[in-house]
Amino acid sequence: MDTILKIDGVSKRFGGLMALADVSFEVKKGRILGLIGPNGAGKTTMFNCIAGIYKPTEGRIVFDKETGPVDVGGSRPEQMTQMGVARTFQNIRLFGSLPVLDNVRIGRHCRAAQGFWGAVLRTKGQKAEERMLVEQSMEYLDFVGLKNKALDLSSSLSYGDQRRLEIARALASQPKLLLLDEPAAGMNPQETASLVDLIHAIMRKDITVVLIEHDMKLVMSICEHLVVLDHGVKIAEGGPRDIRENPEVIEAYLGRGAAHA
Amino acid sequence: MTGNKTALKLLGLAALLAFPVLPFSSEYVMHVAVLIMVYAVLAMGLNVLPGFCNLLDLGYVGFYGIGAYTAGILALNHNVSFWLIVPGAIALGALCGMLRGAPTLRLSGDYFAIVTFGFTELVVLFLTNEIWLTRGPLGLPGIPPIALSLEFLGIDWRYDFLSEIPYYYLGLAMVGAVYVVMCRIEDSRLGRAWLAIKEDPLAAASCGINLMAYKTVAFAFSAGVGALAGCFMAQWSMFLAPDVFKFWESFLVLCMIVLGGLGNINGAIVGAVVLIALGEVLRVLLPKLGLPAETRFLVYGLIMILIMRFKPGGFFPTIAATSKKSRLILDLKARLQAERAG
Repeated sequence: MDTILKIDGVSKRFGGLMALADVSFEVKKGRILGLIGPNGAGKTTMFNCIAGIYKPTEGRIVFDKETGPVDVGGSRPEQMTQMGVARTFQNIRLFGSLPVLDNVRIGRHCRAAQGFWGAVLRTKGQKAEERMLVEQSMEYLDFVGLKNKALDLSSSLSYGDQRRLEIARALASQPKLLLLDEPAAGMNPQETASLVDLIHAIMRKDITVVLIEHDMKLVMSICEHLVVLDHGVKIAEGGPRDIRENPEVIEAYLGRGAAHA
Repeated sequence: MTGNKTALKLLGLAALLAFPVLPFSSEYVMHVAVLIMVYAVLAMGLNVLPGFCNLLDLGYVGFYGIGAYTAGILALNHNVSFWLIVPGAIALGALCGMLRGAPTLRLSGDYFAIVTFGFTELVVLFLTNEIWLTRGPLGLPGIPPIALSLEFLGIDWRYDFLSEIPYYYLGLAMVGAVYVVMCRIEDSRLGRAWLAIKEDPLAAASCGINLMAYKTVAFAFSAGVGALAGCFMAQWSMFLAPDVFKFWESFLVLCMIVLGGLGNINGAIVGAVVLIALGEVLRVLLPKLGLPAETRFLVYGLIMILIMRFKPGGFFPTIAATSKKSRLILDLKARLQAERAG
């Protein structure tokens, strides 16, 4: 099976703190990978390295572009988005004072081309593109079930809808790889159930998903493969069953001695 | 409803066009009206940085000065045609905007504001000390008024601006053009990218927006508009001195857009009207109270503080104002309503 993303010995140091220490794993194309671990394990740091927000101190991040695998470590965020890596944020980062539709239109930024002169002169191409942007954005909103709220203020949405909007905004950049950072945080059980459906629907669009999540039921039910981090180190990797029974993982989550209890 | 609105707009436009022939329109009133238009353009231009991109610019008037001196020197010493002065001044302004922007691309908040503050001081120092070019503190007197001519096309037509009235109409055209360009840009891919940067730079970058490139465009555009206002002003007032471009002018323009609501294009124009009119009132009123006319800057400061305290969004806060009136959005709204009903 093809590898879409290969993390090869990645370390990230912040001053004296080793946030990630020599972490390696592979993300297989078309599969969903769960990245789990206790708070402060380095999961979001790993996302930030992949998405171009941090430059890894050491190691390579190899992403499979159409032209072949490239080391993308140290690329800028907008370059990663252009290449096909989109993300959502743990603490929702929507453009709160803009309408829902505009959030998705901005998400589609890198798949459109019009600039200053097009806007000033309102050229034919610009008008056509603007019309297309609205249509395409509405499709993404329909996909996540927010079509009817397109013109509402995005900060007026409920928490669950805001998370969905962030997913729509990320999908609008037509990613090949989607990084979801705790998408179920703060959701009620119904919202979580429909999130699972949404993630399955995303998978059917041939988008590979990497998921950070604390809701173990959710993770165990949808991820085929899990990577466990603790204090910046990869402590385990494997299928849900193996992970659940792995003594090191139990220790990381429940404390020393718990595995023997 | 929409019919009424259009009628009201047409009426407003007619009133603006007929303004110079109304009985109370003395030379003085026309002068103030033109001054308002110069500041309206400045306010709209400044609005691009703090209003669209959340970058506090305290040195905007530097570009106004660059545009004004470019026009003044070209018209006075080299007798260059107005048709060339305008694009030349805009281009030079935009270039200076980019140059000022380059070292500040990674700065935000207070640090950016400090650099821009330093920039106006640099411009004033340059204008004061480069005497070979600008005549320094003596200023540039006797700049010829604007003359429109079509002689370069071989058509024998020439119009000299000898009273306030042609400046009024040219100013109106300038405000109108800048307004339309601003509205178009706000409701475009570029404008949305700026608003995204304003809201959350990190999320904007994650949406594929190149922060450096888009900020550079904003710097150039904002500065170009400032230079445009400057070159109009130079040939209108026919006299320039470095003192005209001191920091408090920047503060006055900033005060206008804060009053109108940061990011609101209409608000910028309203701010210019209110504060210039108020300035004229204070100019008469303050000496009567035994205070120097310069005390009016204290009043502007007071207004700024009161707005920050009681109306931080200004009088026209821009929450989700973008693209509200655009054809595409209205169509979409109608379609969604039809679907919900059907």
